[in-house]
Amino acid sequence: MSPRLWPYFLKQAIWNMIKNRGVHALGLGTMVASLLIFGAFLLLFVNLDTWLRGWEHALSMTVYLDDGISNAQRNKVASMIKRIPGARIKRFISKADALEELRDALGPQSGLLDGLSTNPLPASFEVVFKGPEVAKTLSSQAMEKLKKTPGVEEVQFTREWQQRFDALMRMVRLVGFIIGGLLCLGVLFIVANTIKLAIYSRKDEIEILKLVGATDWFVKVPFLLEGLIQGILGGALSLLTLFLAYLLLATKKMQLLSFPILNFTFLPSEYVIALLIVSVLLGLVGSFIAVGRFFEL
Amino acid sequence: MIQLFHIYKNFGANIALNDINLRVHEGEFVFVTGPSGAGKTTLLRLIFGAERPAGGHILINGINLSRISRTRLDLLRRKIGFVFQDFKLLTNRTVFQNVSLALEVTGERRSFIRKKTRQALKLVGLVEKEKAFPLQLSGGEQQRVAIARAIVKDPLILLADEPTGNLDPELTKDIMVLFRSIHMKGTTVVVATHSRELLAGTAQRTVFLNRGRIVGEE
Repeated sequence: MSPRLWPYFLKQAIWNMIKNRGVHALGLGTMVASLLIFGAFLLLFVNLDTWLRGWEHALSMTVYLDDGISNAQRNKVASMIKRIPGARIKRFISKADALEELRDALGPQSGLLDGLSTNPLPASFEVVFKGPEVAKTLSSQAMEKLKKTPGVEEVQFTREWQQRFDALMRMVRLVGFIIGGLLCLGVLFIVANTIKLAIYSRKDEIEILKLVGATDWFVKVPFLLEGLIQGILGGALSLLTLFLAYLLLATKKMQLLSFPILNFTFLPSEYVIALLIVSVLLGLVGSFIAVGRFFEL
Repeated sequence: MIQLFHIYKNFGANIALNDINLRVHEGEFVFVTGPSGAGKTTLLRLIFGAERPAGGHILINGINLSRISRTRLDLLRRKIGFVFQDFKLLTNRTVFQNVSLALEVTGERRSFIRKKTRQALKLVGLVEKEKAFPLQLSGGEQQRVAIARAIVKDPLILLADEPTGNLDPELTKDIMVLFRSIHMKGTTVVVATHSRELLAGTAQRTVFLNRGRIVGEE
């Protein structure tokens, strides 16, 4: 096909989109809405994943000690902790320190603690791990052994929570794939039908083009370009809307909801590019389906 | 140039053409005539490749239409001009755009398309109306736009289906003068008509069709 024809094709595609703007606007709107839902889900997934990873890095274990623990017992517990691969004692918190920290945390309400005749808080070792992977592999046998050590009152470790979060993320990912797949099918259907309507509205024109010697591709290419443009516009508009919604949420709502501690980020560039590529592909494949079906008739 | 061998064509139970054998030589001017429903339009559409015969073979410049691909048929159509009875003009495009359409599909240069379109419009006397839309023109003018579109690509063959069917005698004469001048340039012309006025006094070869059969020739 002559390269000279491409400006003609592009002109035709844009002109046809303007002429059938009602149908195209409806198709584009639905496409943007679908991609927006998918994008929002992706945004939620990415942030959940980031939060979980951040939380994983903060994995720690707290070993609470009996009130009457001797120095020798305490040293034994400390050496047992040190023997756990990848574990490191961050600090020892005495009973007094624990009470002081609680007082600081309560702030203006710290007066509540004044009525206490004895300090109910236990002393503890705060243990951190070299990495989340080390913490994950910590055997339950080692945990049980530590728990049974004389002088140890309780061992608090967040592994079970982490496992639950891992399962949740797997579920979120699965739901994401299902929703994404269904939405992609929906978008494909919408694009194919929009282009089909565009083809039917220009049936007479196509007939005349064929009668003056236009090849099938000459007739098809402007429709494929329409699908491509719709894909580009759909992807760009949905990303723009998502970004604006993100700005609104990240700057105002999250603060209002007192979640400033959560670092709410936008989609990474590779996700943005992937979403655009998916959108463009959906536009192209949808229009391919439409022209394929039409020219089979 | 155009050869038809034992052509049959039916639309359901209705037989449109029955054992047609015809040969039109290069540069010839032929009228195909007969009453309504004789098969004139079907014959032209078969030569153009817009219909496929139920039986027989059609050769255009030695190319068998029933054995060529769809793309080659599209390319062959660029060498055949067709003037339709109902003009088949795009009402949302100007006269100029309608005529240039036949060249746009070939991917020619813009400057070449402009030059050829103006030449064709000049030949049919519609240069001043190049910016008008078909529905702003009279029937005769629309017919001339259709002729300009058919001849703009310098076709080897020009097929015209009842080209004067909607025109008054004066315009009919003008159109026939136009066809003769196109023929004089070496184009093979086949005109289907049921108009006795058009045939009266003509020296051109005339093929008579009736009920799908060739019943005579002059």
